[in-house]
Amino acid sequence: MSISDLPLFQALKSKMQWHQSRQGVLAENVANADTPGFRGKDLEDFSFEKALASRTVGLATTRTSTAHIVGSMMRESGGVARDDATGFEITPDGNTVVLEEQMMKVTANQMDYQTVASLYQKGLGLIRTALSRSG
Amino acid sequence: MDFVKSIFIAASGLKAQNGRMRIIAENIANADSTGRTPQEDPYRRKIPTFSTELDRKLKADVVELGPVEFDRSDFKTRYEPGHPAANESGYVRTPNVDTLIEMVDMREAQRSYEANLNLITATRRMLQKTIEILRA
Repeated sequence: MSISDLPLFQALKSKMQWHQSRQGVLAENVANADTPGFRGKDLEDFSFEKALASRTVGLATTRTSTAHIVGSMMRESGGVARDDATGFEITPDGNTVVLEEQMMKVTANQMDYQTVASLYQKGLGLIRTALSRSG
Repeated sequence: MDFVKSIFIAASGLKAQNGRMRIIAENIANADSTGRTPQEDPYRRKIPTFSTELDRKLKADVVELGPVEFDRSDFKTRYEPGHPAANESGYVRTPNVDTLIEMVDMREAQRSYEANLNLITATRRMLQKTIEILRA
């Protein structure tokens, strides 16, 4: 069992993956901010319950020979992009992206990610404290 | 979907806005390019088009500058009988470029470019934060 298998780190890891995916989706939105007919996208909100549940749902194959390929049916959490047409406005050319809104989302995403990364760092610090002899 | 991918997507936006800026520059530079003879057409305003393309390598919707179209609106005319391109009634056809519109378009391209740059900066900060975990 490695440190990243602890439930705390697993939860933080899936949250970080979600933010990473979201950053990609927001990048698509900003890049296509002037494309006619482009509909803005966003990810489903992240929930720890769902992320932790999906861990137990998945099936992974066991390797009995070195020639086997590791297969996994684990679902990547938060991979569903939804149409974000409920934004502030839709331009006459059918584009639903509002740059200000996207910038806000990018900033929020960045801040949340940094928070989670800091928590991860703190978690590692806790373990290091537990392991250290000079208490 | 990793962070480098987000940066590539934003880079496609930068490239598209860059191309748009080039076309706006062409329009402004040629705002006074009339023909030399009455038959010759003056400069026709160009319009950049954008389209969403699925990048198979990135598995993401990037933006690409589509074919450059021409503005089909009528040319402006100016009364100047001495001009070599003036017709029998003394009118010269001038390009259908409105400098004001080009300026507004230029600002919009600039804003979109900045937005893409901001996204790259934000993504880079996130990457840096991830690397900091190693330092703990």
